[in-house]
Amino acid sequence: MKENILIIGGGAAGMEAATQLQKLGLNPIIVEKSEKLGGHIAQWDRLFPAFHPAKDVVDQMLDNVKGVDVRLNTQVTDIQRDNNGFKANLNNGEIIDAKAVVLATGFDLFKAERKQEYGYGIYNNVITSLELEKFFRTGKDERINNPKKIGFVHCVGARDVKVGNTYCSKVCCTTALKQACEMKEVFPDAEVYTFYMDLRMFGPGYEDLYLKTQKDYDVKCIRGRVCEVSEDMDGRLVIKAEDTLFGKPLRMTLDLLVLMCSMEKNKSIEAIQQKLGIANNSDGFMQNKDMYLGMNDSKQDGVFVAGTCTAPKSLPDTIGEARSVAVEVFNYINNK
Amino acid sequence: MNQYIFHPFVLPFVLGMAFVLTYCLVGLVRIIAQLPKDDRKKLWRSLVTPKTAWANIRDLFGDCLFHVKIWKRNPILGYMHSAIAFGWFMIIVIGHVMLFTLKPLQGVEVEGFARTFTNFYYPIFYKHFATETPVFAFLMDFFLLVIISGILIAVVKKIYSKIVGVKRVTKFGFADNLVRFALWTIFPFRLIAEKSNIMAFWWLYSIDLMIFMCMLPFTRYMHIPTEALFILLQHAGLKAREPRKGYNLAQLYSCPSCGLCIDACPMSVNDKNSGNTSAYFMKMMRNGDSEDAKRIAETCLMCGKCVMICPVSIESCDIKWSQRAATPYYINSDHSYLDDCGCGDASNASNCKTPSVVYFAGCMTQLTPKIMRSMKQIMDAAGDDYEFLDKDGGICCGRPMLLSGKVAEAQAMIAKNTELIKKSGAKKLVLSCPICYKVFKDEYQLESIEIQHHTQYINELIKNGKLKVNKGDVNYVYHDPCELGRAFGVYDEPREVIENVGNLRKAKSEKELSICCGGSLGSFNLTQQERDEITQNSVNDLMFNNPDEIVTACPLCLKTFAKKSPVQVKDIAEIVCEKI
Repeated sequence: MKENILIIGGGAAGMEAATQLQKLGLNPIIVEKSEKLGGHIAQWDRLFPAFHPAKDVVDQMLDNVKGVDVRLNTQVTDIQRDNNGFKANLNNGEIIDAKAVVLATGFDLFKAERKQEYGYGIYNNVITSLELEKFFRTGKDERINNPKKIGFVHCVGARDVKVGNTYCSKVCCTTALKQACEMKEVFPDAEVYTFYMDLRMFGPGYEDLYLKTQKDYDVKCIRGRVCEVSEDMDGRLVIKAEDTLFGKPLRMTLDLLVLMCSMEKNKSIEAIQQKLGIANNSDGFMQNKDMYLGMNDSKQDGVFVAGTCTAPKSLPDTIGEARSVAVEVFNYINNK
Repeated sequence: MNQYIFHPFVLPFVLGMAFVLTYCLVGLVRIIAQLPKDDRKKLWRSLVTPKTAWANIRDLFGDCLFHVKIWKRNPILGYMHSAIAFGWFMIIVIGHVMLFTLKPLQGVEVEGFARTFTNFYYPIFYKHFATETPVFAFLMDFFLLVIISGILIAVVKKIYSKIVGVKRVTKFGFADNLVRFALWTIFPFRLIAEKSNIMAFWWLYSIDLMIFMCMLPFTRYMHIPTEALFILLQHAGLKAREPRKGYNLAQLYSCPSCGLCIDACPMSVNDKNSGNTSAYFMKMMRNGDSEDAKRIAETCLMCGKCVMICPVSIESCDIKWSQRAATPYYINSDHSYLDDCGCGDASNASNCKTPSVVYFAGCMTQLTPKIMRSMKQIMDAAGDDYEFLDKDGGICCGRPMLLSGKVAEAQAMIAKNTELIKKSGAKKLVLSCPICYKVFKDEYQLESIEIQHHTQYINELIKNGKLKVNKGDVNYVYHDPCELGRAFGVYDEPREVIENVGNLRKAKSEKELSICCGGSLGSFNLTQQERDEITQNSVNDLMFNNPDEIVTACPLCLKTFAKKSPVQVKDIAEIVCEKI
């Protein structure tokens, strides 16, 4: 009989891990709390650095997990160890016995309201990066009304001691440049500005995207944080920022401000995480065994981690981790 | 000399007494000499002004002898301290009164200079040299037993402080422990000596007194003589100036290191940081341990809870502030922009009508636009004509500069703001930020312009019927911002406002006991993690009665709590705005 492997989370990490585990002859079971697989990436329109449609990747992943046992709209309510491994209670009353557990629970997007000075939820023309992706997918957002001047704010909820997140969220820099270019495609007459602290173009083709953003798309990248946003009499946004390269404060009136929200640990898994005895690291994400050779292991026997539940990661990083966790689980089962 | 008039065992006491009296006299002259001329004048005047003279008498008895403030906080500790201090005081007083009725044991009377000398120690050792009337004998025994009962509590407190409701006690060095031991044994030795007349105990009693008095200036017990002077200086209206001179020196030596501030301090949530509390700061300042004292002065959140809880009313925040002011921090400040600053709201500039209210949001409120927007809606709904002074950005109120001890830089901003506010012609200034409120109240000379925080302003609008609100059924808990509550006692207005729009639940620690949110501008060097611990502790305290929302009246508290709160955190203006 094939051994059951419980995978919590049906996003990129969960789907890819399931695909590989199935190929390795095990029986992965995905428990996904929402109504469909795909996670955050399914809400994205196109992917950096090459503007590849996210749907293509997600569709292929969905195709790969066709034979996998998937429980949608389902959550693990309780989990215990027993002689055979783990016994997990689901909120639909079902009990799953599994030899190993893979936590692929992903991230929450930083709630932009918490950075009140940027005015999200207060001023009409402040939106999040996720909402902009939705606009790209559907073409609909009543707040985006032929804007003439658009600003992007990097590091919203990341590298910011004041909100308690000191880590870099890794993907927002490249996402911002990608979205800035896309905005120029939709609104060619608009002026587009991005406000960054550092541009961390760490991956293949990312630096090229940065050059293209400036040369081909005429997006202006300003090094400096936006400190506050207010509204003028006409309902346009007035932002204050500092251009740290010129060493001067600046004030600018915009029609649309996009906040590049960072990744935070998915808090809905906290109870199960505690039951499994997995601690958080200093950034509040799940702690893995070590960051080099044990990145998919947790400190608990039989519990594995993959994807953005341990730190912010790009999609290629996540897929890589999902594949490696499959090998770890396979070795674990075979050596038992 | 006859052994019934003199015995060598009185010598240690006489020596100790002579030393401590000389020391205190020199100290007194030194402190008064260190006072600036104006302050000295204030002091002399206060001594003859009936109002302050009465306050002096009242507090010298109430605080030095009866410790009313400790009784109010913790009756057991109040009894402990009063038993020892008041009991001792009574023994000294009755002893001296008794001098007139004492009968020498062998009928040997002394006259002239010798009489003066014997009077010096007779009341202290009278049972060895004389007999007294039964009434006095009873009174002396009674007060001696009262003192011993106080010492018993002190011993229990030392062994297990939680019994008397104290979690953490001050840790002392050798000198303090030695003097404490001497103090504890003085009275039992006296009791045994008096009842048995064994010479050894008279010697022990006298030597104990000598140790106590000779060491007193170098230990926390120096608070006994200094507190009396401090009360006079405080009533004279003196303020902290130089960190270790004059008035501050009197404050430093008045601190009894009782440690009540250790449990009160928000930093004590982390045991490691309980060493940063005022009790230790004062000790370091006294000992001239300037590096550590400077560090603590910079670490303090300046929430004022230790000042509020202090049984001696020592203004430790002011001492820390004067320590900061004496430190030459490098700040590259350029205030030339102040000259070009316009005069506020452009939209109202064309409007020639003088506004009745001028609203100053302040930098922190600019970063919490929900508060600003709510205030605008409230003022519009109330129909008050107002000028929004810093709508397009304004000048800082000056408090952050003051907190770093930079008086001149702060005054530049204060002067410009004063000019702008007066120019508006409004009769009332409304502020949304308690940080601003404190500096406007303390430092600005706005003459007839009334200064209100928006909690007071909104409460007034509701009370006089200008603002109509609906009562909802949300359960709120209110957090008292340090600079509104403890600093100015604004406790009732926000609570009245909240009861008009919903239900008010109590926090575990309220009003003057409210715990700092941890976000205070006061501290220069607390780490984010240390601040987070304070915030979490404060949130837990607020969540005590499971409220639906946390309400505060300070934009900085709001932002700080938002990080850690399990429920929504709102400003009082926001919840009122929701119910218009």
